[in-house]
Amino acid sequence: MAIMRYAEALNAALREAMTADPSVFLFGEDVADYGGVFKVSRGLREAFGDRVRDTPISEQTLAAMAVSASMTGLRPVLEIMYADFMPLTLDALVNQASVYGYVWGDEITLPFVIRTQGGGGLGTGAQHAKSLDSFVAHIPGLKVVAPVTPADAKGLLLAAIQDPHPVIVLEHKRLYNTRAEVPDDQGPVPLGRARVARDGSDVSLIATSRMVVEAEAAADRLAESGISAEVLDLRTLRPLDVEAIVRSVAKTRHAVVINEDWGFCGYAAELSATIMEHAFDDLDAPVERVATRDMPIPFAESLETAVIPDADVITAAALRALA
Amino acid sequence: MTTPTGTEDGRMATVITVGAAAGAYMDTVVVLEWRVAPGDAVRAGQVVAVVETAKAATEVEAPRDGVLSAILAEVGAEIAIASPLGLIGDDADATLATAIQPAEGATPTAPATPDGTARRADAPRSTSGEAWTDRIIASPAARRHAETVGLDLQAVVGTGPGGRIKVRDVTAALRGRDEVLSELAPDPLPEFVPAAVTEAAHPLAVTRSGPDTGTPILLLHGFAGDVTAWHAIERRLARTHPVVRLDLPCHGRSPRQRFRSFRDFIRPVLDTVDALKAGPMHVVGHSLGGAVALTLAERRPNLVRSLALLSPVGLGTEIDNHVLEGLCRAARPESLTPWLRRLVVDPACISDAYARAAMVAREDPDLRASQRALAASLFPDGTQSINVTPLLRRVTMPIRLVWGRADELVPWRHALAAPGRVALHLLPAVGHLPHLEVPDTVTQIIRDMIVCAGSGNRMADRGGVP
Amino acid sequence: MTPKPALPHNSPSIDEHLEMHRRMVVTRELERQLGALHKAGVTRGPIHRCDGQEAVGVGATGALEDRDCVTTTHRGHAVYIGKGLAPRRILAEILGRETGYNGGRAGHMLIGSPVHGMMGGNAIVGASIPAATGMALSAQVLGEDRIALATFGDGAAQTGICHESMNIAALWKLPVVFLLEHNEYGLTAHASTQSSVADLYIRAAGHGMPGEQIDGNDVVAVFQAVARAAARARRGDGPSLIEARTYRMEGFSTSDVGGYQSDEDLARWRARDPITLSRAVLVEALGEDRVMDVERAAAETVAAAAEAAQADPPPHFVPHAPSDPRAFATEGR
Repeated sequence: MAIMRYAEALNAALREAMTADPSVFLFGEDVADYGGVFKVSRGLREAFGDRVRDTPISEQTLAAMAVSASMTGLRPVLEIMYADFMPLTLDALVNQASVYGYVWGDEITLPFVIRTQGGGGLGTGAQHAKSLDSFVAHIPGLKVVAPVTPADAKGLLLAAIQDPHPVIVLEHKRLYNTRAEVPDDQGPVPLGRARVARDGSDVSLIATSRMVVEAEAAADRLAESGISAEVLDLRTLRPLDVEAIVRSVAKTRHAVVINEDWGFCGYAAELSATIMEHAFDDLDAPVERVATRDMPIPFAESLETAVIPDADVITAAALRALA
Repeated sequence: MTTPTGTEDGRMATVITVGAAAGAYMDTVVVLEWRVAPGDAVRAGQVVAVVETAKAATEVEAPRDGVLSAILAEVGAEIAIASPLGLIGDDADATLATAIQPAEGATPTAPATPDGTARRADAPRSTSGEAWTDRIIASPAARRHAETVGLDLQAVVGTGPGGRIKVRDVTAALRGRDEVLSELAPDPLPEFVPAAVTEAAHPLAVTRSGPDTGTPILLLHGFAGDVTAWHAIERRLARTHPVVRLDLPCHGRSPRQRFRSFRDFIRPVLDTVDALKAGPMHVVGHSLGGAVALTLAERRPNLVRSLALLSPVGLGTEIDNHVLEGLCRAARPESLTPWLRRLVVDPACISDAYARAAMVAREDPDLRASQRALAASLFPDGTQSINVTPLLRRVTMPIRLVWGRADELVPWRHALAAPGRVALHLLPAVGHLPHLEVPDTVTQIIRDMIVCAGSGNRMADRGGVP
Repeated sequence: MTPKPALPHNSPSIDEHLEMHRRMVVTRELERQLGALHKAGVTRGPIHRCDGQEAVGVGATGALEDRDCVTTTHRGHAVYIGKGLAPRRILAEILGRETGYNGGRAGHMLIGSPVHGMMGGNAIVGASIPAATGMALSAQVLGEDRIALATFGDGAAQTGICHESMNIAALWKLPVVFLLEHNEYGLTAHASTQSSVADLYIRAAGHGMPGEQIDGNDVVAVFQAVARAAARARRGDGPSLIEARTYRMEGFSTSDVGGYQSDEDLARWRARDPITLSRAVLVEALGEDRVMDVERAAAETVAAAAEAAQADPPPHFVPHAPSDPRAFATEGR
């Protein structure tokens, strides 16, 4: 068991996957010689040579190339530096990967991965702080994962690279330096399986990505008032582990859904609808939705914190659910 | 949806608040009436709503010309003074976006409820005017739970936002039902030993006054009271009707006894009433005596012609624990008086002489100890473990609920659990002791009830009921 | 098609030319059948015919190996036929039949047959360009001896992804051929309203790759140009841009009411019909009877294919498990 940073765990997954499978190919802006702006691909260029490439700033084409290269035998792993740039890739995902994965049926597989990172809180401003989870989780045929712990970062990325379908890996810029234990033999983490980050009985805090960290802090606060909050880390946004959600809500009867994307038409809305569809009769209160305020993310710290939810907002939502 | 609280651009709409009209020491008001509807044009200074404050009904005026674009606090809602009642905009549509924000941004500020959670003090989100009629607002889980155990939600008081019935309310109601509805099983009662002070043949102390003939009026006092609690109305009623007063178990001159449950507690009352052989009576019960009276009516329907329940317990879950404890603990007039005065709006109702008299009646430490034990059994942790709400549906005699709007011990909203045929008298600026605070009004209500109950048609109807 | 010699060759044999001629006739007959079926109300949705442009798709694919990958546009019927797909199954797909190449899921714009290296029509204008570029990337990284060819129009040449793809392909020397099928129109807009330059092949210079302009109605000229570019790609020297000038004789699609193409232009290009030009050469070399026999057989093949495809059953709906957003419903897939 080793203590690893989240970024190191991702690096370990890439290194393992590239060692095991010569068709794994890593490309993106600044990923090769510099090792990635978040240092996730550090040392891989030296280890794997031309299978790790710096690219021009051409996200739209790079994503389309990842799709078509994967149709013809490559396992490309593309890094899109910020989730804010993901809209540039959307034609490749919505009109290419999603469509051909269906219309050509079993004649092709699409084993490509797009890694990107989103989230605010570091003063990166309106074009570098978004979490556009719903943009990608909306697309049929794609899988979307959002690891929170270093162990899951490694396990989910390994699983993503092995998967025959497109997988979007949503990392978070404020998680890269978090440290935790990663088992030496950490293998792939099955996609579509949520993780109970904390067991509880009074209210379910159902969260994604770094909002799991905030939800855990909220659970601490609620515990001081004698409230036992369960924290569910979804890990895979699509396909969604509906059973885990239903199991938790059936136990606590109160649900707070938390996602750092915008709220309106956002991923949290999907979670809320899922609970309505599958656990309505278990609800003892309306589902509380916690999401980023529906506006561009401002720069100044006092403004940014007013827009992106935190443990305080989650705590208040939990108390409203329990009222 | 929740977003972090930040500054909200409110330029488009002007918020209507109660403002200074509430009076400086008020925290909350209850909305009594809206005089305009969303979409109506209003002029600055026009009365748009009426709220209840310490000064009773208070009119709220429009802060400017415009259109009422949203009502944020429906009739019946209790809201913080600073909370918005509604919004005035330039037109009805333009302000809806901002209209939603203030209610959502509010943080829970209400006092802790029995299970330790916080309650929202602002306007209920999904409660419309209908909530005050027969529409039941209950969570899906509460509905399913009630269905599973065969409980009628009409009989459950909701303690969630806007009066929504939650699972905890169903659970509380079930606890009460299980204790009240014991006829199916034989009573494993502890043996009851009548005390020496008891009048012959009666398990409990009985005091009579008034004429010998006519339909008697039975008065059942509340927790920590005794026969003297009725002094303000007893004489008025006794001018025309025989009046029978009981001291409840552990109260006044009745025996002190430990009871495991409300079911045990009610037994000597039933036995005493049976022993009176007084025929049909009009029964008036206050607070704990209200729950006793309703149970009596359900168990002895032929002995109860009409029922007046003053601020009864057993229709909801909350009760102010501190007052109960304070009353039980007080061993001197100086410590009893403040707690008694908590029960009323006008402290002058509780004169020093009255408090001294009440303390004399409570001098016996055994009485206070047995009442403390009774409180722990009937009202554990500030929760009413009794639920007699289902009985309201079963009894058929005329029923009147009389409640002070300023009752701090037992919230008047518990009255909303009653079915529609039960009359409700809401008394403005009255606390938990309406018979002491507004005896004329209460006397009149009881007389009216007696007149109604005595009509030939009513009797004929009752004759048809097996 | 007759077996090709092992070494790359830049000109088709006369038999190869005859086979390309046959495929152009098959394509033309296919378009005519579709026109008739559309008029009869048998087809669904728009159909984009390539009448007059057959030499580009057929000539280009004629110069490729079976393992090479081709991507094309929403107007790709000549490429489908050129890549060796069967008319019966193409028509069945276009008619939404179970027997279509993609079981009726794709329709006429998205037909693909990976075993043929036919990697898709594509109805997003420009998308065929990065698609072929990515396929060339996989060939390069995996060290596989195959190239990719993108056909795209003068409209697609104005997209950002066209320039991004050409830059990356030239930068990384990817084995890809960019075949610009210039038919003068993007929907109803003439190329002169779309581009700052009339000749698009000159853009190749900006990306440091060879570019040439050819007669897109001369199937042999197309074959020769693509064969040269393919050989360069196979050698590892990188991409090429070929601008094949042709003309769209039918409207944008079956829903096009027309009126924006001049009679003079149509008459001028009709006189240079690729099948007419090809036939003249072949009749001189092989005699009229042999060429006419081939054309007649081609027409019969398509007529029979249309009849059979119309009789084929419609597909039954089957949910698509990989698209399912919920994990529990797709357990064990």
